[in-house]
Amino acid sequence: MTMGLAASEISGDFAAQVEAESHANMMACLQCKKCTSGCPVAAVADIKPHEMIRMVQFGQRDEVLASKMLWACTSCQTCATRCPQKVSVAALNDGLRRMSVQSKTTSKSAVPVFNSIFMKAVRKRGRMNEAGLMASFKLRTGRLFEDMGKLPMMLFKGKMPLWQPVAPGRGEREEMFERAAKAKGDKS
Amino acid sequence: MEGTAHDYQKSSVAVSKVLGLALPEIPGWTCCGSTSAHQTDPLLALALPAKNLIAAEGKTVAVGCAACYNRLKTANHEIASDPQTRKSVAGVVGKDYDGQTKILHLLEILARDIGVHKIAQAVKNPLKGLKLVTYYGCLLSRPPEVTKFDDAENPTLMDQVLEAAGATILEWPHKTECCGAGYSITDVGIVKKLTREILVMAKAAGADCIATACPLCQLNLDLRQKDTEKAAGEEFNLPVFYFTQLLGLAFGISRKDLGLRSLVVSPAKLLADRGISV
Repeated sequence: MTMGLAASEISGDFAAQVEAESHANMMACLQCKKCTSGCPVAAVADIKPHEMIRMVQFGQRDEVLASKMLWACTSCQTCATRCPQKVSVAALNDGLRRMSVQSKTTSKSAVPVFNSIFMKAVRKRGRMNEAGLMASFKLRTGRLFEDMGKLPMMLFKGKMPLWQPVAPGRGEREEMFERAAKAKGDKS
Repeated sequence: MEGTAHDYQKSSVAVSKVLGLALPEIPGWTCCGSTSAHQTDPLLALALPAKNLIAAEGKTVAVGCAACYNRLKTANHEIASDPQTRKSVAGVVGKDYDGQTKILHLLEILARDIGVHKIAQAVKNPLKGLKLVTYYGCLLSRPPEVTKFDDAENPTLMDQVLEAAGATILEWPHKTECCGAGYSITDVGIVKKLTREILVMAKAAGADCIATACPLCQLNLDLRQKDTEKAAGEEFNLPVFYFTQLLGLAFGISRKDLGLRSLVVSPAKLLADRGISV
């Protein structure tokens, strides 16, 4: 972690950008550490919740966007629920995830791949298809054999249907996704 | 809930039937986007739930999945509280939505609308002697101003429902501790660590089993219990039910209709020991 910043090195631009993206209300933070105390992954995080806020406030863009914490945070909302100042580190992390993926400096994690496969399925099928999701995920991440031992059991117990219905209205969904992408593009 | 959590769906439908609650599906419903949507596109993450809520045409929406519940409630909250958000979402969906459609989790319907008295009346085989802990997970009660589900630190709706079914509900501090949710696939180390805490605490509280109300929590605590045991070097042997399966057993519904076969950590011995026959 960076120590000892000179005041001249600190610019509010990154913080403003992050706040606009996340609406986390981070400038109200008192550094009371209640968020970190309740965070289920704080012990394994490279940047803890209260530290994340501080680093964003101090413009530490590269470190924050490359942090592992963004891909360890489970969005459990414990931080947002307990914060006395109504700051949401959960919202902050969502905003940072998007910026991180866009900046391509994101820490190695399978989560962005998973998200992309998931959203593609929502776009095309409107429904989840666990078997297809898992197959795509394994192929794209090379995690071919992980959990494969569970497959017979899951098939037997009906937990992995090989075919699932598709929701009607694909055209509508495609339009929705297009419009959302356009709105995103207009914003940036 | 038609896939991996099909037993939750089956048991929810069976239990609702006994209580005279009809659960027609929203026509043409689509995935709410869950975690992936809010991590990648905030507008779409509101638009996908909104589309489903519009299709409900003003009727109250009953939800079983905790993540869907949270996303639908969040959509309501954001849209109703900010006219600009409402406008942006309408721009994506192609229709206006006011954020006012009522959304209730099954637990809310059972505990508040139907009530514990009616539930107790429908009980044929009380779950006498079954000691359980209720595990709510994160998304039902947090953030409280969004879901307005129950107390965010110590919810009791599931406790009330299962107590009416005759079970002994044990006190424990991990009702809403995170299980690691979707990281079950992408970063299972986190799940093993978090579920270990939950399983250890459940055992320490003296629980025979755990009752859940979220498909991913159930999956992590049940399907991955052996993995967690291996990683932690401990044994738990704790069956993890959906609360609807336990309620269904109390109502005298068959194991088949409750999808008990889908449980990975087998409850057979426990149920036999407690004399809970089906």
